[in-house]
Amino acid sequence: MSDNRTLLTDMAAGLFADLSSKPFAEAWPQVAEAGFSTLLVPEDAGGFGGDWGDVLAVLRLAGLNALAAPLAEPVIAHWLLAGAGIAAPEGLISIAAPGQLVPYGRHAAAVVHVESGTLSLYHADACTFDEGLSPAGEPWDAVSFTAAAAATAACDVDLLALGAFARVAQASGALEAAFTLAIDHVNTRVQFGRALAKFQAVQQAMAEFSEEAAAVDASAAACAAALDYGDASFEIAAAKLRMGLAVDRAVPIAHRMHGAIGFTIEYALNHLTRRLMGWRSEFGGDAFWAERLGRRVAGLGGHGLWREMAARTDRLVG
Amino acid sequence: MQIFPLHPFRPEGDIPALRQQVRDLVASHEANWPVELRANCWFSFDEEFSKAMGRAGLLGMTWPKQYGGHERTLLERYVVLEELLAIGAPAGLHWIADRQTGPLLLRYGTESQREKYLPGMARGEVYACIGLSEPGSGSDLASVRTSAKKTNEGWRINGQKVWTSGAHKSHAALTLLRTEEGSERQAGLSQMMIDLDTPGITIRPIIDMTGSHHFNEIWFEDVLLPHDALVGEEGNGWKQVVAELALERSGPERYLSSHMLLVALIDAVGPEPDAPTAQLIGRLTAEMWTLRQMSMSTIAKLAAGEDPVVEAAIVKDLGNAYEQALPRMVQAAVDADLSGKSDLSRLLTWILVASPSFSLRGGTPEVLRGIIAKGLGLR
Repeated sequence: MSDNRTLLTDMAAGLFADLSSKPFAEAWPQVAEAGFSTLLVPEDAGGFGGDWGDVLAVLRLAGLNALAAPLAEPVIAHWLLAGAGIAAPEGLISIAAPGQLVPYGRHAAAVVHVESGTLSLYHADACTFDEGLSPAGEPWDAVSFTAAAAATAACDVDLLALGAFARVAQASGALEAAFTLAIDHVNTRVQFGRALAKFQAVQQAMAEFSEEAAAVDASAAACAAALDYGDASFEIAAAKLRMGLAVDRAVPIAHRMHGAIGFTIEYALNHLTRRLMGWRSEFGGDAFWAERLGRRVAGLGGHGLWREMAARTDRLVG
Repeated sequence: MQIFPLHPFRPEGDIPALRQQVRDLVASHEANWPVELRANCWFSFDEEFSKAMGRAGLLGMTWPKQYGGHERTLLERYVVLEELLAIGAPAGLHWIADRQTGPLLLRYGTESQREKYLPGMARGEVYACIGLSEPGSGSDLASVRTSAKKTNEGWRINGQKVWTSGAHKSHAALTLLRTEEGSERQAGLSQMMIDLDTPGITIRPIIDMTGSHHFNEIWFEDVLLPHDALVGEEGNGWKQVVAELALERSGPERYLSSHMLLVALIDAVGPEPDAPTAQLIGRLTAEMWTLRQMSMSTIAKLAAGEDPVVEAAIVKDLGNAYEQALPRMVQAAVDADLSGKSDLSRLLTWILVASPSFSLRGGTPEVLRGIIAKGLGLR
């Protein structure tokens, strides 16, 4: 854990709570001003000098507050550029993983793209966007590069996996927020003469909900530890897949608990559940990660699977 | 409120060497183990292997040396357990004594009880079972009626326990009894360590739906126990049992019971499976990997001196759901001949039929979710 984690999370918690119902145009300048983009950039390069555990903590808070601004994307982009020794341009930098839409592409000053071992930095004037929207109504744009990259460098980072990790981290926060809304609702809403929480069927469903939130929290934390070690390829595949399963199980419960109230545009739940449903598909959906992980495991052999898993946690201790 | 803050699993010592020790020990015994013995293996018996575990210093690992233990950490013991389960080692004979009965005697037992039972348990020679359920007392354990009456010669026991796993292979049963006549519910209960060769005890088998003999009925007819059979405080039995159940729910056995079937599936399809099979393996791996993180975090919290009662219930509920779904998902995906002779066929059939038990032992999903809901403040 970086020494400044508490400072960082206190600041993020306060700011993101203030921004939680603000649109991009109001939210992004404040996120940028607070300096989160350079979270992973070393201190001697002018950044915050944080680790992946810090990234998880901050992204979790962003998810928890349904932050309508990019955060994971500029954090990853600045880290990649710093690692490649390329100066980061001013303004929002988003990421273009192979075959993926670019979050907030139309608002970005630049885009970092990594494919086949090469990192390329494209300025906005080298990008054409086919504009689209995520299920939560956020600008998710398909990019074509129409001019040369401003800079390139060799890069062996799996950008798709980093994006997937970001969505797992955000989902862990969004699940907690949806869970808290549901707890508050079942504790206060009275039907048949008593609070919904007093019904055993409701208690059982809420317990199931908590299990799914717990699974995503645990897997996100394990990914951050593996990223800080330097290789999280196995962990992120498993965690993104488990997050998909959690969304599959938990989102319907969140809405069931709320009845029609949770289905309105005014009520906060939809900002969380629409994001969760969207994130499940972003940076590789269930089928993609299941096949990638399954092929890797098949190559390890029956007992090799366990040996690999054990070695991957033992390395964090040794 | 973060429901499941992750506690880092940071064991001391040379963990890879400890894993290798278990794997080597298994390699020197596995020649005679049929695949059915290796499935759900903490319910499979091999006396020779249990004794070998004892000789290798892998039982009673956390207990004081004066009782035959090895004064190692909870986390080292956890590593041994998960290795045994992942490799399919029949560890059922000593499982309860090592996991539950020994630690409970260390916590609540008298000096003479510790000296009498613990060294043999640590050698893998003395086995224990747990007398809780009764014909009228299943999930509602506080309704037990088997009684112990204090007399001048000792305690007089009358009544019946049921579903007692491994009683026919055990030397003693740690038994929950009503020691205060006319008491109700959680009050007036006590625990006693009962040697199963005491006159008046009859053990009868109950054959389960796999055709195996694990369950038993134990009848007590005017059984006379010495006064020092009492474990812990008279009337404190409920509290002691609840502490015991926490030990029972937090281990890796709650998600790895079907693991040998995943191993067999991976080996059967080879290094280049078709896309749907690769996806199935990936999905099962993702769930298992996540459960392992959660289980390790829970034991780390326990080792730090905290009481992870909600976490343990979460791991067990999710873990049981996974280990029960595994055979069903394999059956749905693979064209398996359930009467076939291949390892995959035999394991699939065996685990499919055994799997309903996975969410019964140690608490059903409904019971566990009740515990979680209580922890969430909903009841």
